[in-house]
Amino acid sequence: MGAFLTLGIISFLYKDNPWYKFCEALFVGISAGYWFCTVFWSQFVAKLWDNIYPTAGQPRQYVYLVGGILGLMMLLRLVPKIGWFSRWPLAFVVGGTAGAYLIGYALSNGMKQVKSTILPLWVSGNLNATVGNIILVVGTFCGLIYFFFSKEQKGTYGKVAKLGIFFLMITFGASFGYTVMARMSLLIGRMDFLFGTWLGLIK
Amino acid sequence: MRKEVPLIITFLAGAFFIADYFIPHTGFSDLAAKINGWAIIVLAASYILGVLNILRINYGRVAKREKDWILKLILVLCMFFMLGAGIFGGITEGTLFDWFFVNTFTPMQATMFALLAFYIASAAFRAFRVRTVQAALLAITAVLVMIGRVPIGETIWKSFPDFTEWIMNVPQLAGKRAILIGAALGAIATGLKVITGLERTYMGQD
Amino acid sequence: MNNRKISLVILISAIWLTLCSQILLAQEAAPPTGTKFDYHWFDTNRLNVFITLAIVFSAILWFIARAKKGKSLFIRRIAGLDAIEEAVGRATEMGKSVLYIPGIHDMNDIQTVASMIILGNVAKTIARYDIPLIVPIRQPFVVPVAEEAVRQGYLSAGRPDAFMKDNIRFISDEQFAYAAAVNGIMLRERPAANLLLGSFYAESLLLAETGASTGAIQVAGTANIHQLPFFVVACDYTLIGEELFAASAYLSREPKLLGSLKGSDLAKALIVLAIIIGTILETIGVKWFTKLFVVQ
Repeated sequence: MGAFLTLGIISFLYKDNPWYKFCEALFVGISAGYWFCTVFWSQFVAKLWDNIYPTAGQPRQYVYLVGGILGLMMLLRLVPKIGWFSRWPLAFVVGGTAGAYLIGYALSNGMKQVKSTILPLWVSGNLNATVGNIILVVGTFCGLIYFFFSKEQKGTYGKVAKLGIFFLMITFGASFGYTVMARMSLLIGRMDFLFGTWLGLIK
Repeated sequence: MRKEVPLIITFLAGAFFIADYFIPHTGFSDLAAKINGWAIIVLAASYILGVLNILRINYGRVAKREKDWILKLILVLCMFFMLGAGIFGGITEGTLFDWFFVNTFTPMQATMFALLAFYIASAAFRAFRVRTVQAALLAITAVLVMIGRVPIGETIWKSFPDFTEWIMNVPQLAGKRAILIGAALGAIATGLKVITGLERTYMGQD
Repeated sequence: MNNRKISLVILISAIWLTLCSQILLAQEAAPPTGTKFDYHWFDTNRLNVFITLAIVFSAILWFIARAKKGKSLFIRRIAGLDAIEEAVGRATEMGKSVLYIPGIHDMNDIQTVASMIILGNVAKTIARYDIPLIVPIRQPFVVPVAEEAVRQGYLSAGRPDAFMKDNIRFISDEQFAYAAAVNGIMLRERPAANLLLGSFYAESLLLAETGASTGAIQVAGTANIHQLPFFVVACDYTLIGEELFAASAYLSREPKLLGSLKGSDLAKALIVLAIIIGTILETIGVKWFTKLFVVQ
């Protein structure tokens, strides 16, 4: 069955065809059911039911009922007249996300990167490090200039922004090249399954 | 009630999770974990809406006998089959649910992932049709990094792998940092607009 | 704010505070055994983060306040964002649909939040032209948010009747099943424009390449660095990192939102200044400045 489905998905490379369509329908249907059940047991039951009806000896944590009520409000979308209640849990999740992610981005993308970019432009006795540090600082500086939205990119300022784009392109190129090999190994894995595990042509 | 309450909830939830980072009080951290648990329950409840959405959209197509209706029917039947197997039979190893997961879901998932190799080849072809200086920079860097990561690179030039490392650690990192810092500011501004209610398109206003 | 609104604010705040205090009191009364209970209400090791955030917040809020007073704010052209309107225009000319892919993460990712805001603006534009807007979604919680955003967009354009709920489609929570289905939509429904805006991972290449093969005009944007190269290669325009977050202000042209972009730029100028000062100090051997950016 694994080989039939594997070949069905691969057939998409030729063109959209009934075999692929069948595999797609199967994949989407099975995965939708799979994730519903996984979430039901690992999140809904584990967080709500198990906290309100815990194993013997554990205290009941009724505070999780609030989550249950919010979840119920979410389902009120199905009743048009009172569907607007679903905006409450929606607001709760979006607001919480905004707060938590704001902090996350400020730390890992912001302050940590600024700290790592502050480097000495002269490293005594180490030309490699000196050149590397200068390129790193200049590259980051020019890249940040590109992201300014308040000023037209003209004249010297425009040239600096353009240099910033060049650095971004080098970043994309390097990242692209780096990923190619990783993706190739995935393909080799599937070919190994078809020609080795299934057909036994590779030992 | 319809407009104000969601805005207040957004503000309180956002401010709470910002405060959570600065408040080391154990009780507060414990409370934050519980409130996070509420969010998990809400997200889990939304799966019911998801299943109903799939049902509504595909039912219409099956009922009207639209093109490929039989595939939509297969999709819905597969979903219900897995739902039944998972809810009534459990999801642990050795169950029917698990058997279907291993024998249908896993190979298709792995194959889709493996298709990336073909797509990346096609993307590389696109990337190497150089039209501008910027595209040339991207293509040249990609080629240099690719060569540096395979044994032939070292055969061409002994220091090729080191050179590739240098590209990754210096010019690549410079561009990456600029993107990361910019994205941080964008995320902070978006978060702030959402928390203060300046941005509420996503919530509807009728 | 009228009295009703004030009392509502007080009521909800009171519920919130009561709930929090009750849990805290219960926790303090019976701290978990074996763990050290921390009674501090502010982590002084994180004072630098607090001050940095306070500066960034002030910069953004100050410019928003200025914008509200009617000060004119210049924002440069962002090609990728102009391209969204161009893409919708092309779809209209061809009488075909627009496919909006909001990434694969849930609403607990700020990129998805940003994407939903952009979706609202895109819906507003599309509503004027009477072409279908298809939104395939991977996470079920995003479905109601997308419905609200699109409905609001159609409402703002004065076309609530044109809103089609069935075009906001939940596909599957599985990343590659989602990619397989979206590829199917691209090939079978042949949208004239594909907008891929949000948080993307490995499926980015599958989607962008399939989209490119159909000849659709493609505008993509994400803050996930590892996926950006694929978008740059396979799409007509790419919004890089911060440009994705700037989209809502740029597209809506609402002064207060443009103000936030200006504020963000001021914060960026301060960061550039900090890097310059820090680099000079590091070069002459002064280290204390760099330590200001250490996060615990």
